[in-house]
Amino acid sequence: MSKTAAATPGIPEEIERFNIIFRIQHVLMFTTFLILSFTGWGLKYAHDPEGLSSIWIRIWGGPDTAGLIHRVAGVTMLIDFVWHVIYLTYLFATKQMTINAKTTVIPLPKDIFDVIKNFMYFFGLSKEKAKFGKYSYAQKFDYWAVFWGMFIIGFSGYALAFPMQVSYIIPSFATGWIWELLGLMHSDEALLAIVFILFWHFYNEHLKPEVFPMSWIWITGKISTEKLKHHHPLEYELLFPEEAKKEKKG
Amino acid sequence: MSQKTFAVAVAPLLFLLLLLPSPGFSQESETCLSCHNAMKGTMKAQSGNMVDLNLDAEKFKASVHAMLPCTECHLKFSDASHASSGSAIPSDILSLSSKISAKFLSDPVAGAACTKCHEEVYQKVLSSVHGKNIIEKKQTDGALCVDCHGSPHYITKTKDGKSPVSRGYQVGTCGKCHGKQDIVEKYKLEENVMDSFSESFHGRKLLLGHTRAPVCASCHNAHDIRSKSDALSPVFGRNKLSTCGKCHKGANEKFVPAITHKRPGPIPHYGEKLLILLTMGTFAFIISHVLLEAFADIRDAVFRKKEGK
Repeated sequence: MSKTAAATPGIPEEIERFNIIFRIQHVLMFTTFLILSFTGWGLKYAHDPEGLSSIWIRIWGGPDTAGLIHRVAGVTMLIDFVWHVIYLTYLFATKQMTINAKTTVIPLPKDIFDVIKNFMYFFGLSKEKAKFGKYSYAQKFDYWAVFWGMFIIGFSGYALAFPMQVSYIIPSFATGWIWELLGLMHSDEALLAIVFILFWHFYNEHLKPEVFPMSWIWITGKISTEKLKHHHPLEYELLFPEEAKKEKKG
Repeated sequence: MSQKTFAVAVAPLLFLLLLLPSPGFSQESETCLSCHNAMKGTMKAQSGNMVDLNLDAEKFKASVHAMLPCTECHLKFSDASHASSGSAIPSDILSLSSKISAKFLSDPVAGAACTKCHEEVYQKVLSSVHGKNIIEKKQTDGALCVDCHGSPHYITKTKDGKSPVSRGYQVGTCGKCHGKQDIVEKYKLEENVMDSFSESFHGRKLLLGHTRAPVCASCHNAHDIRSKSDALSPVFGRNKLSTCGKCHKGANEKFVPAITHKRPGPIPHYGEKLLILLTMGTFAFIISHVLLEAFADIRDAVFRKKEGK
């Protein structure tokens, strides 16, 4: 299929979707995420000295070591996040990245209509699925879930790992309840993040028949124009307006 | 001197090792145990409460008190079946025994005898909230030596791991009273101590076997334990700074409220409810979306084979 597309004059066989820096940031994000989930899980469900969580923590070198691994991974993840934000700022400042409704990851009203349209399609009430730009609502949700998590789990985790440093910036009126709240935030939102990744990200990027066993974009950074046309038609139209017009007529 | 002659000369000396006294019971204990190791059941003492007659010799042998003769603590017998040991009871032990008689109904002298070796610790306990409860308020359900350490016959070292006051068992031992509804109500104790500890980072880490996680006595002291309203208590007011500072270097006034046995206030309580709502809402969306999409894909593949595909 892709061969016929390559034959189309004026259209490359594939285009770059994520550059090397975004790809490294993603790899750092998911390796630290997995390590944090594995080492944190045992502490969240510590109920019995001979229970599963104790055995699980022993696999990670015991609670002392597991705690150290968790902190190192957590700091690495936060640094990765800060790097990402700085890099985005740089891209915007140098105009290498601009905001366009068809390519932005920022949620727009269209995303809500897309969700409604897709649900209608699932129930057989609509004949066609929603058409996406560079990022579908599923991908935007994926991205902003991590972004939100960085503030909620990231900050609370930082405060719990370095309480003495953080205590200086905590206002006096909050000391009575903030620590309890930070613990709850970290633990509850971590569970949310794990289940979210397990269901949403794993289904959409790994288990779906069209991507199984996984979408290779995370490692190659490239998407074939054929796939682009199919999954991100609005971005395709933006990038190759001439071709898109021709195909519509033809 | 050749090596052989050296060996011949030294080897017999090794047999001297066999002559060294091996750790074991005193002659007197052997005599008592010849009956009490085999006896079963309990007997009513003069005071009216039941006394256990059996002593497990194996467990006694493993205890730190194994080498003591019985009469070291059992200075007198109230019961006619035994002759009293003869020598008079020291006056300090006698007066102590009358102070703690509320607690030790059958043999307060034996209960006071701990002070013969452990005087300093005993004095600390007597001035603690636990001790005062017994000697001043004359309560019978408060804690004294054996309530935390178990039977004096079977006491092992704290670091042994099996001791009721060891890292592994201490929290449960304190919980015998501090997790008991009627005791908590009677003495107006902090009511959520057991649950708040097991849910805290300290409690969870201890449970997983963290080597530096604190137990009750790490913050509250062991023998000289005091009410949290006592200015000498390590958890009273600003004393917390140095108590928390034992592990958390530089503990300040904004840090120390992090650990408390109090129930969470309204902000963490409703904050958690909000987080649960958010979590459940997200789960409902993603799970229904994933399942419906999967069904729709199957439906399309089976029933809607489009042309051109």
